[in-house]
Amino acid sequence: MNIRSDIIRGHLDAIILRLISEKDRYGYEISKEITDRTEGRFQIKEATLYAVFQRLHRKELIESYFGSVSHGGKRKYYSITPLGRAYLSEIVKEWQEAKNIIDLFMEGL
Amino acid sequence: MKKLKKHVDKLFSDVPDSDEKEVLKQEIYENLQEKVQDLIEQGKDEEDAINKAIVEFGDIDEIKMELVVTKNPLRKNNTKYNLGFSIWGSLLIISLFVFANFYYTPDNIWFVYPTFVVLWWPSVMFYYWRKTR
Repeated sequence: MNIRSDIIRGHLDAIILRLISEKDRYGYEISKEITDRTEGRFQIKEATLYAVFQRLHRKELIESYFGSVSHGGKRKYYSITPLGRAYLSEIVKEWQEAKNIIDLFMEGL
Repeated sequence: MKKLKKHVDKLFSDVPDSDEKEVLKQEIYENLQEKVQDLIEQGKDEEDAINKAIVEFGDIDEIKMELVVTKNPLRKNNTKYNLGFSIWGSLLIISLFVFANFYYTPDNIWFVYPTFVVLWWPSVMFYYWRKTR
């Protein structure tokens, strides 16, 4: 585990919430999507993913339901709640602000 | 695929049983199966694919922590209800003794003895409750 992924780790809730806000998704789909979009530069551990699901669900930011059949079983899909959308837009604002501040010191070297 | 199922069982072996745990186990198993299927389609043989999926799954402690966090507040409430129930229950039993004592044998006061016996119940519940606060 390198330093970069530790920084990302603190924002996994937001990353996963963002993916669920685009459309309802299930666990493996999300981990695949993260790998694809980062072109393999970042991979989420499944154990982390399910911990994030539990946490988001407890805060009522996402809901789950059983959807279409995969290999002989039901897939558990997640969808974002109105509270989740509000939370996400808050987080995005915070991140922009934090990024601006950090950039002041990280750029131009 | 049996190996995969066994692995998921082992991951959760020291988590106390609950509906939540079963649903989560099922979800993880489904998703891992799909991952293995994908890896096989990419040209891995089944053994390799399963091993890769298991290794990439990571450390389950994070999930356990989230499961425990959701459990604790429920327990706290329970001890409070237990205490309340024990107080009301023992009051009822004691009043029965008092009634029987004064109705049938008013010359002989004996209800104090069973009262002390019954009072163990709320006192035990009280200390349980205090411990969880």
